[in-house]
Amino acid sequence: MTETPTQADRDQGQSHRGCPVVHTDYTQETEVFGHYALLDPDREKSRFLFNDTTDRGFFMLQRYDDVREGFQQHATWTTAVRSALRPGSSNERLLPQDLNGQEHVKMRRILNQYFAPAAVRRMEEMATERCIELIEELKPKGADDFVAAFAIRYPTDLFLALLGLPVSDGEFFLEWSEDYFNSLLAGQPERAEESKKKIMDYFDRAVNERRENPLDPDVDMVSRLVTARIDDEPISQEDIRTICLTLMLAGLDTTRSALGFIFAHLASNPEDRRKIVEDPSIIPNAVEEFLRTFPLVIQAGREVQEPADFHGLELEQGDVVWLGVAQANRDPRKFPDPDKVVLDRAGANQHLAFGGGPHRCLGMHLARLELKVVLEEWHKRIPEYRIAEGTELRERGGQLTMTSLPLEWEV
Amino acid sequence: MYISIDEAKCMGHGRCYGVAPELLSDDVEGFVAQKGECWKVPDDLLGEAQDAADACPEGAIALLEQAPA
Ligand code: SF4
Repeated sequence: MTETPTQADRDQGQSHRGCPVVHTDYTQETEVFGHYALLDPDREKSRFLFNDTTDRGFFMLQRYDDVREGFQQHATWTTAVRSALRPGSSNERLLPQDLNGQEHVKMRRILNQYFAPAAVRRMEEMATERCIELIEELKPKGADDFVAAFAIRYPTDLFLALLGLPVSDGEFFLEWSEDYFNSLLAGQPERAEESKKKIMDYFDRAVNERRENPLDPDVDMVSRLVTARIDDEPISQEDIRTICLTLMLAGLDTTRSALGFIFAHLASNPEDRRKIVEDPSIIPNAVEEFLRTFPLVIQAGREVQEPADFHGLELEQGDVVWLGVAQANRDPRKFPDPDKVVLDRAGANQHLAFGGGPHRCLGMHLARLELKVVLEEWHKRIPEYRIAEGTELRERGGQLTMTSLPLEWEV
Repeated sequence: MYISIDEAKCMGHGRCYGVAPELLSDDVEGFVAQKGECWKVPDDLLGEAQDAADACPEGAIALLEQAPA
């Protein structure tokens, strides 16, 4: 059993097993960039903190070196808890994320090659073409909600392409995935189930189609999934669907919000925007710097499986650990002037936005490609733009989501 | 100077071969192709070797003065 903080703890100078207690609520909605403003002061308060805003509470690792080391404790700190903010609350099964140890390694070995740099390079031409189409469609309008009209459509189309499905299916697929995300967040499980069923049926059809007409498994992921063996066993249809759903959950909202934050920054910082317009060769490093300064997954959760002493922090079995990704990325011990966006920052790519250890983000290279292509193609076509007047930008907490970014540009 | 890449620690972030393209390369899964190896770094690639070691978030790359016994 885990100990939850008692009133006595609170009274004793707010410490829990020797660790200072904080009550910062990271799940609330704030104005844009509001969460980073909460994370920085917590990190500087004390090396380790105990946060008591959830049922189980969680121990916060916040400094770059600690967070990095935390990701490497994968043998004993497992993904039985995936988010420190919602331990056990999610009954959604995710694959391969929920697996640990050798089981996890075996499934990743099947998937890795479709997300490796070489595979992502194969997608680049298609990704660029699709991006140009979407921008050209938008450009004559002179104004639109960047998030709804572009930032969510683009990763959805590429996700379908990755599964070997027609990008034109994005038209109806997007409606289901958005409905699914939104009803999950709004706490409407029945409605979420309904849209999930549509998505899962769609995956079923796609998987069955590949069973009948397999493509080259070296380049087509679904064809590989239907023929692959793990310990001589095929992967069940249910697990294949779950893998597809996991990729969708991991790839769409994150890319949408990353684009939202990046364009919110560039719309309000013309000097940075002009640097990108004038010299697109800085874009790859700029992407790393944006990932460093605006990580959406602000933390990863882990559950401690055996008692441990982590640099003086006493952990017991069943404790929940917060690996503070966003805090590490803005740790002044690692990155000088950390809250400032410096497009040509040296070592920007040492951020932890994609996590670390064996669970590090599978889609990292694809995400990088998507962000790079959008920054290149958008600025070639719409170099000047601004946030529509009178807009107040908001971000949802937990995993940060930007739901709306109204932009205007000259036509 | 020798470079040694710990196979067990490498998680395929791909940062090392990104910053050291003349010294390292990627395998089909996106891991560094030279994982598990240890070899002498040519003098003109010492800078790349240092960059690769610094870039790896898993601490999988070590630079050694001497060849390991
Ligand atoms: S950066 Fe490190 S973890 Fe990534 S491929 Fe290179 S050695 Fe492996």
